[in-house]
Amino acid sequence: MGKRFSARDLLLILFLGAILVSVWLAMVQIDRQWVFIRETQQKLDGQTRDIAEIRRQLRDGVAVAGRSAQDAAATDPGSGFYRAALAEARDDYARGDWLVNAFPSSPQRLTPTISTDTYASRVQEQVLDTLLTRDPESLEWLPLLAASWSVSEDGLSYRFRIRPGARFSDGEPLTAADVAFTYRFIMDERIATPRFRAYYGRIAEVTANGDEVVFRLDEPYYGALEIAGLLPIMAEHFYGRYLQSAEAAEEFNNATGLLFGSGPYKLADPVNWTPGQAVELIRNERYWGRVQPSFDRVIWKIISNDAANLTEFKNGDIDTYNARPLNYRNLLADEALMSRVRHFEYQDARGGYTFIAWNQRRDGKPTWFADRRVREAMTYLTDRQRVVDEVFLGYAETANGPFNPLGPQNNVALATRGYDPDRARALLAEAGFEDRDGDGVIESADGEPFRISLTYPSASDDYKRLVLLLKDLYVTAGVILEPEPTDWPLLLKAIDDKTFDAISLGWSSDFEVDLFQFFHSSQNGPGGDNFVSYDNPELDAVIEAARVQLDENARMALWRSAHEMIWQDQPYTFLLRASRLDFIDARIANVERVRAGLNRPGLWRMPTEWYVPVALQRH
Amino acid sequence: MASYIIRRLLLMLPTLFGISALVFAVMAMAPGGIGANLMSRSGDMRPEERQAMMAYYNERYGLDQPMPVQYLRWLNNISPLGFESLPGGGRGEFGLKVPDLGTSFVKNRPVLDLIGDALPVTLLLNLLTIPLVFAGSIIMGVYTARFRDGAIDVGIGTANLALWSIPAIWMGVLLIGFLASEQYLKWFPTSGLSTLGSGSWTFLPERTADGWRPGYLLDLLWHLVLPVFCLTYSGFAFLTKLTRSSVLENLQADYARTARAKGLSESAVLWQHVFRNSLLPLMTVAATILPGLLIGSVIVESIFSIDGMGRLVVEAVQMRDRETVLSITLITGLLTLASYLVVDICYALADPRVSYD
Repeated sequence: MGKRFSARDLLLILFLGAILVSVWLAMVQIDRQWVFIRETQQKLDGQTRDIAEIRRQLRDGVAVAGRSAQDAAATDPGSGFYRAALAEARDDYARGDWLVNAFPSSPQRLTPTISTDTYASRVQEQVLDTLLTRDPESLEWLPLLAASWSVSEDGLSYRFRIRPGARFSDGEPLTAADVAFTYRFIMDERIATPRFRAYYGRIAEVTANGDEVVFRLDEPYYGALEIAGLLPIMAEHFYGRYLQSAEAAEEFNNATGLLFGSGPYKLADPVNWTPGQAVELIRNERYWGRVQPSFDRVIWKIISNDAANLTEFKNGDIDTYNARPLNYRNLLADEALMSRVRHFEYQDARGGYTFIAWNQRRDGKPTWFADRRVREAMTYLTDRQRVVDEVFLGYAETANGPFNPLGPQNNVALATRGYDPDRARALLAEAGFEDRDGDGVIESADGEPFRISLTYPSASDDYKRLVLLLKDLYVTAGVILEPEPTDWPLLLKAIDDKTFDAISLGWSSDFEVDLFQFFHSSQNGPGGDNFVSYDNPELDAVIEAARVQLDENARMALWRSAHEMIWQDQPYTFLLRASRLDFIDARIANVERVRAGLNRPGLWRMPTEWYVPVALQRH
Repeated sequence: MASYIIRRLLLMLPTLFGISALVFAVMAMAPGGIGANLMSRSGDMRPEERQAMMAYYNERYGLDQPMPVQYLRWLNNISPLGFESLPGGGRGEFGLKVPDLGTSFVKNRPVLDLIGDALPVTLLLNLLTIPLVFAGSIIMGVYTARFRDGAIDVGIGTANLALWSIPAIWMGVLLIGFLASEQYLKWFPTSGLSTLGSGSWTFLPERTADGWRPGYLLDLLWHLVLPVFCLTYSGFAFLTKLTRSSVLENLQADYARTARAKGLSESAVLWQHVFRNSLLPLMTVAATILPGLLIGSVIVESIFSIDGMGRLVVEAVQMRDRETVLSITLITGLLTLASYLVVDICYALADPRVSYD
């Protein structure tokens, strides 16, 4: 230890450190250049292909299709593009600017069929096209990639004619073969998409024949048109190589950002997206549709903290903000903010509902809730209007069944039971529950006090306030409610094992809800969602009949009678449907309420109707 | 010495084995199980999908087998020596292979990829934070000891205690609310590590038609200011106190008095004699740096929307993501043991009285 550490040594170490850092920075810089070069290369490749195509057309003397005829077709209400075409015809319509949204956490992967989160599907809606779309007002099917479609008499085969001129974002044509390939891809056992196979397994085969593609079923199923029509079409020339070997399939199963399609937007690099970075979609310059997308970019930032999310929205850095009721009311009072944003409260036609489920069978024995009168009494005790007013500050609708009131399944003749504690007490007395010892708590015939625990997700503040309110309401009728906040994994386990008295949860929903997995008596085993062991043979029969009834009117009538049976039986006390509360930057024009909710981009897999007039464009 | 190192390395194996067995047992006993997670992450998954997913995972990863079998299977996967597992599920030949950390069932991605995404971010933050904390604490510690009970000592001590008492979750929200909001001061960005579109900027600042553009590097540093501040400010208190007491002790030692008696100036005594000796206790603390580099702060990461190791670990524990928790515990355990070994060797090198033979 002869030499001592001196100031010169320190300088030397710092100098070495500086050199190392510079080398590292240089490597980062070169990496960024590679990304840039790769993107440029991809762009160049695409343009070369385009030029070759144009040359070929010029040489072959292909006439440019009459544009006026195409225009007329676009504004025809029977086309998937007519709403966008109407927006495009407006005076201040302009292309350009960005639409910036935020996700609270990063999608884990964008690769279609193997992604599992809702965030990924929001992105995929803009990149992958489907054969059909729905009209956001009438909720009728409209053609998108399909020029037309037909269903055979027996309801076993669905025939779609692919629109000529449909193209993927690299310019390759989209053909019936790609549709058949997508089905083949999903059904390949090596691809890790058992959830898609659970649906598409109903389809026996998909065959392509010229510009026609046929989906064949073994037995009729009412949702077949939806399954076939909403299949996101994948490109055979892009995804085909992942079926060539087990290793290639494994590569696909581990890919985080393999997203490529024919939709209005695309990823700049369809291969290399990784989670954690913002999702940035750019305009698909070769979009095949009549109406071109309006925004140059659609972006989702990842902002996990709600305070930061709100600050960014107030700063104008993001364009949309979805609020909770209390937050929403506070923001409405912020005049500076309200002068430059618009706000929307609406019911989504695909919105779900919140409920309390009464467990009818626990440890193999019927519970008190096996008696219909008890369940009905509990519904009478649940003051739903007060829940809406006090917990959701009025930004919700009371619910009386599993069907969305905006859809045709809902039976409007049924009235929601109001708050009626006297009626509830009478029903409970009829069922044998009375206050026998005068302590204010009702008891069963053998003297057991009426004490129930209500399990609910502990993470949610809304549920907590809801349950506390219910506790106060129930005690007036002598019912003791014990709140039981539970973690997600534990809650799901309680559902699987049926170890709960009552549970409060929400189901997400769709335009047409299949009641089978929720209320059919066959679904009370493991895997099914009839976790309250509800059993009504009449309802079972109606559900079974509705599932094979292809005629829409007849089917809706069946669903409505199912609604009535559920309303009679009250297996759940249906609580409410929360409104969506959205703020949207005012520079975005043509944001409209429609029957389906809001005409937000991507909802219908067609070019967005939203745009920003030139004077207001920011990016 | 060599035999000591080899002995220590061999002793690490049973320790790691114990750690993994303990964590595995805790995760296995935790209610909820793996299957339940398949729905929680993706709220919109329908029942038939969930069932199909479960069956698929059971078949592919043997999740329906008894726990000891699953544990052995996992041990086999992570060990560099064992049976190879074939794509599709079968068991291959026995021999050397690449250790496989498994797949996260919650996030549906290989654990190695998850760590690969989160680690660089955490390393970047910690490589900035840890030197800052150490440099600041050492300087403050020396000066508070030098001017003991003076205004500097009291001032720095109080300030550090105050900073240490402020929760990062509150500080972060305040910083965003006041320093990143258009209503007050818009000095810093609110979230993330880069501005939208900065991917196509030049690396260094450049002048464009609209004026100066900060460039990719400056943009990144600008985004790092608030998170690094949040990670740093509460770390000063402990290390400053440690340095201070160590310097004080040495200032009163015999050799310091001798040095003063020789006629050396007070600053020469402090910096050339006392300072060096006072750093020894910091070396022990530094042993935690190596594993500490990997551990992120879930609070700071959530507030500033940075996907680092902290969030990865906490989310994995909350979601009972067994493979991720096991892998990270194993890696952290390995690094902790390794850094203890390194520190022990450093002691032997620094202090000739210490011998392990």
